[in-house]
Amino acid sequence: MISIHDLVKKYGAFTAVDRVSLEVRPGEIHGFLGPNGAGKTTTIRMIAGLLKPTSGRILVNGHDLATEPEAAKASLGFIPDRPFIYEKLTAGEFLRFHAGLYGMDDATVGSRVTEMLELFELARWEQELVESFSHGMKQRLVMSAAFMHRPQAVLVDEPMVGLDPRGARLIKDVFRRMSARGVAILMSTHTLEVAQEMCDRISIILKGQIIARGTVDELRALAGDPNQHLTEVFLRLTGGSALQEIDEVL
Amino acid sequence: MTQPFPYLLLPSLWASRNRARRRERGDGTRAAFFGIVGLGVAGAIFSGAFWLTVQLGGFADFGDYLLRLGLSWLFLSFLSFLAFSGIVTALSTFFLSDDLRLLLAAPVSARRLFHARFARTVGLSSWMVVVFIVPVLAGVGVGHCAPWSYYGLSVLAVIPFVAIPVAIGTAVTLLLVNIFPARRARDILMLMGLLFAGGLVVLLRMIQPEQLLRVESLPDITDFFATLQSPITPLLPSFWAAEAVFASLQGHLDALHMAALWTTACGLVVLVAAANERWHFTGFSKAQEARKRRFTRFEMLTRAARLMPMSPIRRHILVKDLKIFLRDVSQWSQLLLLLALVLVYLYNFRVLDLDRNPYMSGMIKNVYAFVNLAMAGLVMSTVCARFVFPAVSAEGAAFWIIRTAPVSLRAFLWSKFWTGFVPVFLLTELLTIAANHFLGVAPFLRVVSAAAVFFMSLALVGLATGLGARYPRFNADNPSQVAGSYGGVAFMIIAVLFMILLIIFVGWPASMFLWYSANPRLILPAQTALLGAAGFLAALVLSLSTWWFGMRSGVRALESME
Repeated sequence: MISIHDLVKKYGAFTAVDRVSLEVRPGEIHGFLGPNGAGKTTTIRMIAGLLKPTSGRILVNGHDLATEPEAAKASLGFIPDRPFIYEKLTAGEFLRFHAGLYGMDDATVGSRVTEMLELFELARWEQELVESFSHGMKQRLVMSAAFMHRPQAVLVDEPMVGLDPRGARLIKDVFRRMSARGVAILMSTHTLEVAQEMCDRISIILKGQIIARGTVDELRALAGDPNQHLTEVFLRLTGGSALQEIDEVL
Repeated sequence: MTQPFPYLLLPSLWASRNRARRRERGDGTRAAFFGIVGLGVAGAIFSGAFWLTVQLGGFADFGDYLLRLGLSWLFLSFLSFLAFSGIVTALSTFFLSDDLRLLLAAPVSARRLFHARFARTVGLSSWMVVVFIVPVLAGVGVGHCAPWSYYGLSVLAVIPFVAIPVAIGTAVTLLLVNIFPARRARDILMLMGLLFAGGLVVLLRMIQPEQLLRVESLPDITDFFATLQSPITPLLPSFWAAEAVFASLQGHLDALHMAALWTTACGLVVLVAAANERWHFTGFSKAQEARKRRFTRFEMLTRAARLMPMSPIRRHILVKDLKIFLRDVSQWSQLLLLLALVLVYLYNFRVLDLDRNPYMSGMIKNVYAFVNLAMAGLVMSTVCARFVFPAVSAEGAAFWIIRTAPVSLRAFLWSKFWTGFVPVFLLTELLTIAANHFLGVAPFLRVVSAAAVFFMSLALVGLATGLGARYPRFNADNPSQVAGSYGGVAFMIIAVLFMILLIIFVGWPASMFLWYSANPRLILPAQTALLGAAGFLAALVLSLSTWWFGMRSGVRALESME
């Protein structure tokens, strides 16, 4: 569903993403992990059509993002890490506008808006301006928009930032149900518990390159300890030795 | 050890220093452009003040009387501006600034915070007045051959004169914020301010200041100034400042008025500081509370848009843009000022006394038709710079929504173009037609002007939309910042050059045609007729190519944006 081949992004002499290839199948939740600055957000932004790759190919639902950008984007839902939305629109207006951009039929939009707002527990805020929303509410509204047009693939950058435990639980449930319906989800996150709990497969990126890929068990085996928590596996694979240094400093 | 209050002003000074150090593309050009314009304006103000003072000097005591009245009037007009500017600035510096959270969470005493914020408010709200008043007072001083003490005493008079209205403005803000939430108060003030400014422009125009330039109305000048005086004038700080400055111009020290200025300023600062200590935190807390603002749904707008023959995507972008515009007080309220300027513009043509010289009136009317076209072009350029150029930047941080949607950036930019084109074209076309009607210009010129405005609208709106996409400022706080950016200034320069060329291309053949029509015995040579047609054609090509280049450049810039 999401397929990327030898994706490269260079900023001058610096290579932010270096020949990354990835396949997210229908119904799969694929975790995208890596330390800060590893190239996660750059990769996600390239797939979303926000950044132009230096080279490589991105296919969404069989459509090449470079040659058929509109068809590829029509199959995709994007949830950015920071939920910037038009502050002077109401939640309902924002979703209707979003539906219009994705060419949804006017006759079905009304019921779909209500459905999405109810699903993300925002129904009572439908007529309120976005500027009065909290960060978590804006995040849930962005998610409503991303699922509004029934995308076949969803890109999520840091889904849990700013969500309360109830909101986080809601999002996890929505993602699971969407994947059960065949939606491919590529999710970048720093919350390793979420990745461990939700992802079918995980790719770990370091310095722009994929250094490990597989299920949680496969990654544990790769790190050499089948009983380790994902955090330890992640630190071992990405060379994290900071904890010891913290002790020394403190 | 606790640092004195100026320490709290350091971050803004450091930020200014860092901005000056970190040069971005176009900074040099922008600085040079604004520097030259600024120096030109300051030079013109200085020369004007100098010339007027020298002229008044020729009337001995009567001239001094007029100079004294003029100074009083000058300070009086600044007084209300400073009070209003003080209220608006204090809202931001005392209640809405982001750094207040940091400062209020730190162990900074309320008194120290007040002094730092008050100094900042005085600086921010009065710099424009100071920049204007310095060349005026310098011009008056040089024109009057004032002693050196005049310049020092003027500075001593201006400092408390500026501090008094700002202190009053700060007190009003403190009161307002404790009654309304801060952001609501800001909207109310912004609206009031623009209504005030618009009303002032219309009123000033209605008192017909051009009459002062007529020789036959000279005796009325004293009456004109006298109407500006009233029994309460001597109680105002503007009067004290004017008296102190006028006395220093004669080489004296007006201790009474100088003392009145300083004691009032110091007393007010102490009082406002005490009030601030008592009520600032309550107001600040209110400003943090979540807003549940009333707003208009504009359902009619959505319904009307459905009737328009346009693609659903364009319709949705149009409705979204209009709703955002109409819900933002800082945006739509500027239309009120525009309306006031339009009224004054039309009024000017209405009251033009062109029939004073009947032999010339026919020709002058037609010349005015081109002046009208140029003015309409300038109005259009300004409206485009303020409302059309920032259209892409207005998407702000939410631009990702458009970029990740299955909408081509070409369709997006064209949607912005049409949203700008229709109102700009209608406004300018109506202005031109109405002004030409008031002037009574030849029907041929009316048609030429109307056609020229159509092509001008295409070109300027296309250029503004395109350059706005090429030089976007997604992180700007407001559209005025976008309009004042490098791209905005570049647009204005190109727009003015375009206007000059267009008027040359259209004006020459149109005048030729009128000349031969007015002299039926002369036969229009074929070569001249061909050259005239070439002029119209050149205007057409210029407009269409400006439109096309502008939009193409914008689409390309958006498509290559990262």
